[in-house]
Amino acid sequence: MTLYHFLGLGLLLFAIGAAGFVIRNNAVVLLLCIEIMLNAVNLILASFARYLYGAEGQIFIFIIMTVAAAEAAVGLGIVIALHRGHGTLAMNRIKDLKG
Amino acid sequence: MNPDCLWLLLAPPALGFLVNGLMGRRLPASITAAVALAAVGLPLAVALGFLLEMTAAPPEARVVATSLYTWLSDGDFQVRVGLLLDPLAMVMSLVVLGIGFLIHIYSVGYMEGDVGYRRFFAYMNLFVFFMLLLVLADNLVLTFCGWEGVGLCSYLLIGFWHERKSACDAGRKAFIVNRVGDFGFILGILLTITAFQTVDYGELAEIAATAPGDASPIIALMVLLIFMGAMGKSAQFPLHVWLPDAMEGPTPVSALIHGATMVNAGVYLMCRLSPLLNRCPEVLLVIAVLGLVTALYAALAALGQRDLKRILAYSTISQIGFMFVAVGSGMYALGIFHLVTHGIFKGLLFLAAGAVIHTLGGEQDLGRMGGLFREIPAVAVAFLAGLLALAGVFPLAGFFSKDAILWGGFQRFGASFWIVSLSGALLTALYCGKLFGVFFGPRRDEGPPHRPGALLIWPPAVLALGALIAGVLGLPMFAQDTLLSRFLGFASPAVASGQGHELEVIMTVFQGMVIPAFLAASAYLFVRRRRRMEELERAFPRAAAFLADGFGLDKLNALLLATPLRGAARFSARIIDNRIIDGAVNGVGWAAMRAGRLLALLQTGELRHYALSILAGAVALLGAALYAAGIF
Repeated sequence: MTLYHFLGLGLLLFAIGAAGFVIRNNAVVLLLCIEIMLNAVNLILASFARYLYGAEGQIFIFIIMTVAAAEAAVGLGIVIALHRGHGTLAMNRIKDLKG
Repeated sequence: MNPDCLWLLLAPPALGFLVNGLMGRRLPASITAAVALAAVGLPLAVALGFLLEMTAAPPEARVVATSLYTWLSDGDFQVRVGLLLDPLAMVMSLVVLGIGFLIHIYSVGYMEGDVGYRRFFAYMNLFVFFMLLLVLADNLVLTFCGWEGVGLCSYLLIGFWHERKSACDAGRKAFIVNRVGDFGFILGILLTITAFQTVDYGELAEIAATAPGDASPIIALMVLLIFMGAMGKSAQFPLHVWLPDAMEGPTPVSALIHGATMVNAGVYLMCRLSPLLNRCPEVLLVIAVLGLVTALYAALAALGQRDLKRILAYSTISQIGFMFVAVGSGMYALGIFHLVTHGIFKGLLFLAAGAVIHTLGGEQDLGRMGGLFREIPAVAVAFLAGLLALAGVFPLAGFFSKDAILWGGFQRFGASFWIVSLSGALLTALYCGKLFGVFFGPRRDEGPPHRPGALLIWPPAVLALGALIAGVLGLPMFAQDTLLSRFLGFASPAVASGQGHELEVIMTVFQGMVIPAFLAASAYLFVRRRRRMEELERAFPRAAAFLADGFGLDKLNALLLATPLRGAARFSARIIDNRIIDGAVNGVGWAAMRAGRLLALLQTGELRHYALSILAGAVALLGAALYAAGIF
């Protein structure tokens, strides 16, 4: 088990999250994908922290987890609002961002 | 002679203009007229006082000069507002004030009941002020101020009846054509300033006397440019086209501005610059030839006119041409002599013509005038006296001045010059004869005549008296020094006088007989054989129209100048302004809008497109960072 195994897993997780965000259509799944990407980053930070015997990486992880929790709360709120407004969570039907 | 009194000549007309111009509406018409008359009468009295003192003084002490204040100053170069009353300015002022005063009196009657009565007198007083400024100025720049001022008044008064479009057009034409001449005048003044650092007439005369020989070309160019201004103002060919149209103005205006005073300003200016002119014989030749061409051309054109006032206008152009012939012959006093006599009899002719037009209720067409002698004998006698003087019949004023001009031209430029100028004089007699038809023969107007009042009869009668006796100024005949030339005291370029007195006497007698003969023949044709003459005119309609249009010069101007200018203006408006300048401005907006529309295509509203582009951007940035770090 070297650093590279951890980094490879982190990259794989991030790629899965990013690809899922682009490919999937459901707003709730998109939130899940975001969580996956954030956790991929956390994993990489933790690996480096362990590798370098430093504390900074671990501190970053806590900050990111806090932000992720807040984001999830806000994100779920938005998802509920979207569902109320549009009656659907299929992102290809919701085009409110078009200027 | 007290120089401190000189401003008394200028102030009254300016005050008259202010009073009538600013408060005219609150004053009754009689007070307006009284103010206007006083504004010209007072300076006339002052000028006569100066004249008495001046004739009593010895010739070298006949100059009154004063400097009111310095207007511009730049190092050594100064422009002062200075007045100069020398014999030349004296004569000119008397012409302006004397004839002007009579014309003001006449106007009181002529303009009666006109809506613009007060405006008219305000403009007339303003004109007299500017004319006196032009005459009394002691330097070129101040003269130019007066010059432009009279141009302005001329414009205002030609277009006086501004509800008539033809009057407005005529005013504009006069203004624009004069701009062409004044362009040369300004260049001449600028050249004078750069070359000699002075515009003062006295200093210029000194420079003319002392400057080295290689300065002559500059002086010649200077005078030639200033002469261009004189051509415009004095309506010399080819800048004369505005004067016939200027007859749209009220008749007293035609008499004062376009007959007796303003149009002579060019001759006056050339005489002012005579010390400079004496140095450049080539310029004198140019002036003489141009004057001769104008005299002949305008006399021919006058013959073809059908409008009473337009004949007089062309006749004015022609007579000023004769004045320039005299100036070009180096006989400045003679030019001024003709200016004075012409001012008198042309003022008279215009005033009497105004009375005729008034009698016929505004009719100006010659074809409808005839046999008016019995209706208005006083006006007719005055008019006929003016015609005889204009034609140059002994012993009226025109005889002396024209005879001397013909002789002067002969002496200086030879026999062929004399023949051409004599034909000009004979043509003058011909068109004068044509006007006899107005008073003799059968009546041609319908309806009862409006007999003119005393105010329309007395001023021309006084001028007729002047036309009878003004020839005295040219006495004694056949002498170098006449009454007027001794008073004026010009230095003339030396003339090689090879011909003797006998020839001059013979020529005078010859002219004195042949001119009246032509006049009589023409009067016979146009009174007794009038129908035949009119049939003749109808038989050659194109030739008649050609003469009436002044050789089609207006059309030529339209073709050569107006059409290309209009084309250029249209090109600049439609292509340069609309396409290029507006195109650049609108193009910038158009390009921004199109670019915005193109970029807006990126904003699809599809979340995954945004996500993908963020991802791609992140990958690209990462790649770039790695590349920069040298990892790839």
